[in-house]
Amino acid sequence: MPVFIRRHRSFFTLLAVVIAQVLLLSLQITRNNHVPLIRYWAVEVFDPFERSLGGLMNVASTAYRTYRHLWHAEQENQELHIQLVAAQAQIQRLGEQAGETERLRALLDFKNQLPFQTMAAEVIASTMGNTSSPGENSNAISIDKGLDSGLTSDLAVITPEGVVGKTLAVFSHQAQVLLITDPSSGAGVTLAQSRVQGILKGGSNGFCDLHYVMNEEVVNRGEAVVTSGLDQIYPKGLPVGTVMNVGDGNIYKTINVKPSVDLNRLEMVLVVLKPAAAEQQALNGIR
Amino acid sequence: MPTSTHRPVAVFQVHPAIISIVVLVALLLQTFLPLKLPLARLMDFPLLVVIYFALMRREKVFGIGLGTGLGLLQDALSHGYIGIFGIAKAIVGYLAASASTRFELESLVARTVLTAAFVLIHSLCLTVLQHALLESPPPFQPIAIASTLLVNVALGLIIFQILDRFRRPA
Repeated sequence: MPVFIRRHRSFFTLLAVVIAQVLLLSLQITRNNHVPLIRYWAVEVFDPFERSLGGLMNVASTAYRTYRHLWHAEQENQELHIQLVAAQAQIQRLGEQAGETERLRALLDFKNQLPFQTMAAEVIASTMGNTSSPGENSNAISIDKGLDSGLTSDLAVITPEGVVGKTLAVFSHQAQVLLITDPSSGAGVTLAQSRVQGILKGGSNGFCDLHYVMNEEVVNRGEAVVTSGLDQIYPKGLPVGTVMNVGDGNIYKTINVKPSVDLNRLEMVLVVLKPAAAEQQALNGIR
Repeated sequence: MPTSTHRPVAVFQVHPAIISIVVLVALLLQTFLPLKLPLARLMDFPLLVVIYFALMRREKVFGIGLGTGLGLLQDALSHGYIGIFGIAKAIVGYLAASASTRFELESLVARTVLTAAFVLIHSLCLTVLQHALLESPPPFQPIAIASTLLVNVALGLIIFQILDRFRRPA
């Protein structure tokens, strides 16, 4: 018998262990006692480990949550930055559109008030006789209307602020406009208060010179200069500029006039149509 | 897959300190992880530790001792009667050590099949013990047993790969 037991030692060990635990279970069930002492020891032994693990997990969980929040914040920050840049670009675009709308409205109001027919044109380039770069000294501009719109040379070009110049060379789809500040330009003008007449020509530094005003005439600084209509190009009464400096010469006064239009910031202009050109434009409108 | 009983089989040893740490970690995970991960309620880390070490050591008495000890501690840390997990894991430890001499344990298929078999035996032992000893045992739930089986087999394959790094030939 002992040989049999030794031979199957492991099986009998299992049997003993199982029986012992069955007895332990029976004891607990019959006495309705959950062996608190064993449980107490086990809990006491494992409590520090469980606490440590719990603390460690809490730290890890907090670190992970913090990292996730930071990551989300970074993502959100990037998205908001992109949205901000887009919004700024949109605001700028809308601002430009609003400005353009305002200018066009003013131009339309002005056009409707005029007793003669005009055609709106957009300035597409700024040109100059001896340099190709646009800038303060540009004495000519290009507009987006030409022969196809019925334009011819020597048509007055104006804005609500005043006279810009006249068409010089007209091409199929665009035209060159000679500004009043160009030395080769000329316009018949009248001083608004004294009604003294003269010829306005381009001067230097973006100003114009008023010629052929006798020294005896009284011309005040700040006096408005308007078109006289005698040159057959510019309709009478359009604002041209303001007298800036007045001085006596040999026979004629030396008068500097500041144009009423900022010629360096032109975007939209009106071309004053002659009757034939107006008819042509009307026909184009019908088509 | 079964091999001759006369064929020399590889026996591995693991340092007792490592076994102690693994047992401690398994018990801690068993008590702590279900609080954070609901799926962990299906996991039985102590059972997988018993299966692995019993298979590696190929000693039935060691398997019984480890199963009993871990089972009793698991019982003590739970709210049930002390002895139910002890009996179930002692049986699994014995059977795992017995089976270890008959199978090539380096094979993934063998590990999977054996782990599934021992997890199933453990679940059945628990069910039988609960029905035999408790006044109001939980109802028999085949789906719950199948879920436990799948989860623990998958978890066992991962844990066994990790524990393989700590063993050395005897």
